[in-house]
Amino acid sequence: MRRLSLSFIRFGRAFNGPQTLGNSRMFWTCWLVVVIALVAFPLLASRYNVLTASNFLISTILAMSLCLVWGYCGILSLGQAAFYCIGGYAYGIVAMNLIERHGNTDLAIVAGILVPGGFAALLGALMFYSRLKGVYVAILMLVTSLLLGLFMRQTADPSYVIGAAYLGGMNGLAPAKASDPSLPSIILGFGDAIVEFDGRGRSFYWLVLGAAVAVYLGLRWIVNSSFGYVLVAVREDPERTETFGYDVRLVQLAVFCLSAAIAGFAGTLYTAWGTYIHPDGFSVAANILVVIWVAVGGRKDLSAVVVGTITLNWISIELATWGEISMLVLGVILVIAMLVAPEGVFTGLGGAIGRLARRRTRKAALEAGPPPSTMLPRRAP
Amino acid sequence: MMDIAGQIVSYTYQYFDNCGFLLLSGIGLIVIYGVMGVINMAHGELMMIGAYIAVSSFYAGVPAPFAVGLGGVGAGVAGMIIERLVIRHFYNQLLSSLVVTWGVSLIISQGTLLLLGPSIMNMPTPLGSFSVGAFAFGVYRLVMFATAVGLIAGVWAIFRWTKLGAQAQATMEDPVMASALGIDTKRVYTLTFGLGSALGGIAGGMFAMTATISPFFGQNYTPLAFITVVVGGGASPIVGLAYAGLYLAGVQTISSNLVNVYIGYVSVIAAAFVALLVMPSGISDFVEQRRARRMSR
Repeated sequence: MRRLSLSFIRFGRAFNGPQTLGNSRMFWTCWLVVVIALVAFPLLASRYNVLTASNFLISTILAMSLCLVWGYCGILSLGQAAFYCIGGYAYGIVAMNLIERHGNTDLAIVAGILVPGGFAALLGALMFYSRLKGVYVAILMLVTSLLLGLFMRQTADPSYVIGAAYLGGMNGLAPAKASDPSLPSIILGFGDAIVEFDGRGRSFYWLVLGAAVAVYLGLRWIVNSSFGYVLVAVREDPERTETFGYDVRLVQLAVFCLSAAIAGFAGTLYTAWGTYIHPDGFSVAANILVVIWVAVGGRKDLSAVVVGTITLNWISIELATWGEISMLVLGVILVIAMLVAPEGVFTGLGGAIGRLARRRTRKAALEAGPPPSTMLPRRAP
Repeated sequence: MMDIAGQIVSYTYQYFDNCGFLLLSGIGLIVIYGVMGVINMAHGELMMIGAYIAVSSFYAGVPAPFAVGLGGVGAGVAGMIIERLVIRHFYNQLLSSLVVTWGVSLIISQGTLLLLGPSIMNMPTPLGSFSVGAFAFGVYRLVMFATAVGLIAGVWAIFRWTKLGAQAQATMEDPVMASALGIDTKRVYTLTFGLGSALGGIAGGMFAMTATISPFFGQNYTPLAFITVVVGGGASPIVGLAYAGLYLAGVQTISSNLVNVYIGYVSVIAAAFVALLVMPSGISDFVEQRRARRMSR
């Protein structure tokens, strides 16, 4: 029993470390409360709110992908939405072609992750192995995204058909012929044992929530692993990391591909959520939104980015009732946040809470006498 | 016979047109990048400001060349204000300056959208056309190329002969040393940013006579401007811009004639990637390094 609980603690420790804020038991208790509240949310909220919340959660996955590559490894990509959209299109095209034959969208989801990952591998190999400056990488990614958008916009011609899928220009992905199936939502499973997640329903919300929690925990594990330390080293000083014997270019390429795959996964969920995908996702506005979420939230911490993304999404939804000012307000928020809190609003807030909590425990410890021994016994030599 | 002549003139004309486009949209950007290391993501919006000012003053009765000049002045002032308020706080943080200028661009374009609505304005293209064989060509496009060359010469003259130019060159070489020698580098940065913005405003005013303008006018020009600057590099802006413009316009002219306009765009990006594989910090860095190596030999 004791051994079991110890291995449990050790397992839990894999998610904690200096690379992330919120390593205390207090934080994880709050985290669990929030997750449980999010699980219970659809039971209380209206259908519209559940639908919106699903979209917010998909946005957090996209934001976390940029947080990984920019915040932890120092590679700014101004075209992160490109991978999101490529994932969305890949999912849609494969799903429409295979849904009738297979009855599920398993392969389509895999395509939605691997296609943007592969595209990132190609671009990343070109950019990182020629040791481009960070500014150049950022700009080239934006231009690539805009160019893909330009291409997708002019695919209204009926000749742009891939099997049962018609690219459809500005109107987005559509069936090639009237007899072809429309874009399906996510259906998992094999043969007859399938589970359907309708994009408009509660089950889809829970699926997305599960995915977001998995991505969050997975990334916390990665950034606190030894690979995560290398990532941060590359961010802080690439030359020095190189002299320590790490292949900086390979690390950059790996994290770039991983980030693109996660963004593609978010795009897959987005396409399944609305059962549509169109070229606006490649636009300047789509790309800048991701950067705003991450920069305002606090690019160097996953939890701050998640909180920031949800807060900003909520603000834009609230502002949408006031007309077209939401993008203007987000721009103002971005500039002010970067001037006042360059490390991010929620990173600053989280740090302040952490300092406050530590001061209180220190005070309590002083009053209680000598500090208690640490939780884990030292490993035998 | 006349047809072949027309074809040749057509290719040459398109080449100069594309080249003028790249040079005009890139010049303000590359001046700022060369001196400050900042890629100004709000460049397209400064062009939009220049275009709006040029068109409004044109309709208020100002002759077209002066209207374009006014656009440049307006954009330059706007640029200096932006530099003072925002960009000043992000020196030596290149990625952050990229993000914050992008935020500024969002504020300007969305603010204009709120203020003026999505309505579009335009201005007649002046100066008529001439024809060779079966092809007709607008004179104005050649004027745009000539203006681009004129602006480049002007910037070169500023860098070569004025005190500000000398100070800017010193700041480019080594900002810490320059300020130790009594150069007010902050003033140099503000003026450089103003100069770059003014060049953007002039470009915007010139483009306003060939296209309709809207709050998102700048977004039509910035992707290729960014590519030109990235390929050109910051070591010596003028050389870099000229080489990048000549190279990319050649690729664009050939491929858009052989296939279509979209492939023309794609091949510009592909050409940029190829150039960066060979010369990772841009053409002008490459040229400077080779020159330095030859000198040391």
